[in-house]
Amino acid sequence: MKVAVQAGVHRKDAASRSIASKAGSTILYIVLTAIAILQLLPLVWLLFFSLKNSREVFDLPPLALPRHPKWDNYSDVWSAGNIDRYFLNSVVITLVSVVLTIVLASFVTYAVTRMRWKLRSAVLGLFMIGLMIPVHSTLIPLFSFFKKLYLIDTQFSVILSYTAFNLPITIMIMLGFYAVLPKEVEEAAIMDGCSVNRLFLQIILPMTLSVIMTAAIINMIYNWNEFIFVNTFISTDSLKTLTVGVQNFVGQYATNWGAIGATLMISIMPILIVFLLLSNRIVEGLAAGSVKG
Amino acid sequence: MKRKAIAVWALMLALVMVVSACGGKDSGSGDKVTIKMMHLWPEGSSKAQYELVQGIIDSYEKEHKNVKIVTEILENEQYKNKLKVLSGSNSLPDVGFSWAAGFLEPYVKGNLFAPLDDLLQGDLKDQFVAGTTEAYAVDGKTYSLPVELNIVPIYYNKEIFEKNNLKTPETYDEFLNVIKTLRENGVTPITLGGKDGWTGSFWYMYLVDRLGGSDLLDKAIASNDFSDPKLIEAAKMAQDLVDMNAFNKGFNGLSNDEAKSEFNNEKAAMYAMGTWEVPNFTTNTDVPQEFRDKIGFFRFPTISGGQGTSDTWVGGPGVGLFVAENSKVKDEAKKFVSYFVQQWGEKSVTKAGVIPATKVDTSKIDLPPMFIELLNELGSAKKVTLYADVQMKPVASEEHHKLVQALLGKEVTPEQFAKKTDDTLKAGK
Amino acid sequence: MDRVMSNKWIITLYVLPSIILIMAIIYIPIVLTGYYGLMHWDGVSSMTFAGLENYTTLFKDGVFWDSVKHSFVFALLSTIALAVYLIVAMVLAGNIKGANLFRKIYLLPMLLSSIAIAQLWLKIYHPTSGILNTALVSIGFADPPAWLSDTKYVLGALFVPILWQYAGFYILIYYAALKNIPNTLVEAALIDGATPRQIAFSIKLPLITEVIKVTIVLAVVGSLKYFDLIYVMTGGGPNGASEVMASYMYQKAFRGFDYGYGSAIGFFLLIICLVATWIIRKLTATKESIQYS
Repeated sequence: MKVAVQAGVHRKDAASRSIASKAGSTILYIVLTAIAILQLLPLVWLLFFSLKNSREVFDLPPLALPRHPKWDNYSDVWSAGNIDRYFLNSVVITLVSVVLTIVLASFVTYAVTRMRWKLRSAVLGLFMIGLMIPVHSTLIPLFSFFKKLYLIDTQFSVILSYTAFNLPITIMIMLGFYAVLPKEVEEAAIMDGCSVNRLFLQIILPMTLSVIMTAAIINMIYNWNEFIFVNTFISTDSLKTLTVGVQNFVGQYATNWGAIGATLMISIMPILIVFLLLSNRIVEGLAAGSVKG
Repeated sequence: MKRKAIAVWALMLALVMVVSACGGKDSGSGDKVTIKMMHLWPEGSSKAQYELVQGIIDSYEKEHKNVKIVTEILENEQYKNKLKVLSGSNSLPDVGFSWAAGFLEPYVKGNLFAPLDDLLQGDLKDQFVAGTTEAYAVDGKTYSLPVELNIVPIYYNKEIFEKNNLKTPETYDEFLNVIKTLRENGVTPITLGGKDGWTGSFWYMYLVDRLGGSDLLDKAIASNDFSDPKLIEAAKMAQDLVDMNAFNKGFNGLSNDEAKSEFNNEKAAMYAMGTWEVPNFTTNTDVPQEFRDKIGFFRFPTISGGQGTSDTWVGGPGVGLFVAENSKVKDEAKKFVSYFVQQWGEKSVTKAGVIPATKVDTSKIDLPPMFIELLNELGSAKKVTLYADVQMKPVASEEHHKLVQALLGKEVTPEQFAKKTDDTLKAGK
Repeated sequence: MDRVMSNKWIITLYVLPSIILIMAIIYIPIVLTGYYGLMHWDGVSSMTFAGLENYTTLFKDGVFWDSVKHSFVFALLSTIALAVYLIVAMVLAGNIKGANLFRKIYLLPMLLSSIAIAQLWLKIYHPTSGILNTALVSIGFADPPAWLSDTKYVLGALFVPILWQYAGFYILIYYAALKNIPNTLVEAALIDGATPRQIAFSIKLPLITEVIKVTIVLAVVGSLKYFDLIYVMTGGGPNGASEVMASYMYQKAFRGFDYGYGSAIGFFLLIICLVATWIIRKLTATKESIQYS
């Protein structure tokens, strides 16, 4: 009886709630869409300006279409210098760094959040301090360091640097997730005689897929667009990355805006594609994760 | 899961090894000499200079089969950064480019550049225009050989002037009149990229020169004394220009490139810039012919009652070649530098529209009229005052840029401008 | 259970490689920066010992303290912005159709490199042909300000692209955290008669507290050491109106050949970030992390 009444009450509440929420949600959609347009504007602009010549870029309003799309901005850029090589280098450096960072960060985060030891807050603090150093302070010291190790002018120096500098933020992102993983799973596994390694690698790690994906995207974006380390540590042209390649079009007294635009478009394409692909994986990962109860 | 993990690790390891292997350089064995060179003309934006450099490298390698020259090319800002980092661990390239005076000094103090006087006494004797190599000398020894020489005229759009019934001004009063007329008729008189302080510096320097004579600025900087009242008056005159709305809207937040585009798009009538712009007004086919035909130049006008004459210019040498003191291939590098300077001197005008610091025989070359006129001006100039920010030491130079921007933005008074400049000069850094 | 979870070998194995990496790549530069800060050095010639002279100069340096002020303004604004991001993420994480699409669009600006973003906003803010001023003129403002050259507006004007660049990042993190909350909890609450508002504040918020704390630290520290857009768009000007600590440090160290002084600034920045983080942790400390029962 009580249940039926309660159900009836809920239905009435639900009805009135839904009218209000319908109006509310339209407003919501408008706001969300407005924000989306603001965020989309740059890509549209980038596309337009990559097809203009230098004068049109300054002259016409930003969103005006180019008078004659200057497709040779793209072909000039692609042929004028090693872009395919830079592209490959960007891919290799980004991929290796991201994988390395995520693997190392997962191990550390697990140890710091789920294992018991006295020094764990201190070690976490150690990593957090890594967030705070301004990048330019590190250039000269790191250059000397890598030079002594004969790693200067190799991609390895860049990969190690990215991994080290991304560890703090990756760990911090993973922290919140690891901290709220249910303890029962671990307790049950240990009761069953599971070793810590197996517990971590086969049970816990898969549960963190969503945060791994999130961290992967964030790392990838940072590494792909990074510039100063590559520029400083690498001299040989065939080892440089795409962002450095873009700088090739910024001159001493003149700037070829159309070519910069084309290069930026070329450089954003792969990361855009990967991002769109991975985004879907996040959804799968999240869906799988939230089924747990 | 474990097998997958191992596979991932193995793949990564393999990738890293491949990548590092590719990164290894061929250090050259036997008699082969490798010269590492850094320059600041990327192909994408400074194509003419890039090709000029490549041409010189190619012909040198052909004539010296045992020499290989490897280049690293960065644009201006990144080039300066990298040079800084490299010098911090004493790893400069064998050959590179440096700027004069204040920029050069720390490198000389740190024993990073090799003296090049032997080249000046040898093949390059008497080749340089008077006064150019001096800017690269410290304590009587020359550490860099310039490849660029520029002066700063005021370019103007002839069509806009005609439309407004204006003649090129010779006196400052005429100049102010030109500005007023243009403004009244809705045209931006002068375009300036204030964010890049060095562009504003040109205007200030000319005002100082025309007001106080051509030695005033040099003396002030050399003696670390910026208290002469004429220096303050020139600063006031600069601010007067701002008050008259002589410059484009929002100029203090615009870079030189952005300002230049206003001139190129005929939105502004005048633009003060170095002679490195001349190709854009004469030979560069990317710029529409009808625009190029409209551009002329005039000298900075004289101020009545002032001590400066119209045949002194702001300008000076640009970048110069250096050889690293700790270079393992120093002798070969020096030979290359000497070769480079000569080749560059012969070809830079025609191929890149760049005026070299070595003497140019204008009779033999076929050049656009504006170019020849400017070369003649250079030849007959009474004096070329070196850019203030090059004369000053690095900290003072940066401060100068900021102060000029602040002066033109009316954030500091002329007196404060002079005082702060004086302070930084006296700080000696 | 405790014995298994405090296995020293495992902990060391998990944590040591990462520690070695950051010791080499992050801590060496930190130490060296502190060391250089005690020297008179132009970065090129030899060093002379300066003791605390750089620091005493620092304390008297008006431009530096202005830059500190500006950095803190950004930090404050960034933290306030977090609240907005959180609300957006909550809306998205609710059952909104197209949440996926919105989420992807919001993240797009982050895919661009700082160079691209700087170029775009330079055009938007262009005093005569920028999209902002042309729009303002068309609706009746005859003489809109030149945003980047007017010292009154430049700081605020710079904040907008920074905000826009990172919005997607924080929204993504909050979204993933919210999605990690098991649906069963929310359903149970709904059955108990909770309103969406109550669910948001009393259930969801507490469960993502760890993540929120992390984002506050990230936002504050990130703002304090921010460099990219500011340097490219205004160089810290006009007249230091938009100078922040990192850009001032760069200018002194790399442009001004005063590497010792620049290092002192860098080291000081590091200390400020540490103190700020410590304060934040103290202010947001909760007794223990919340776990699902």
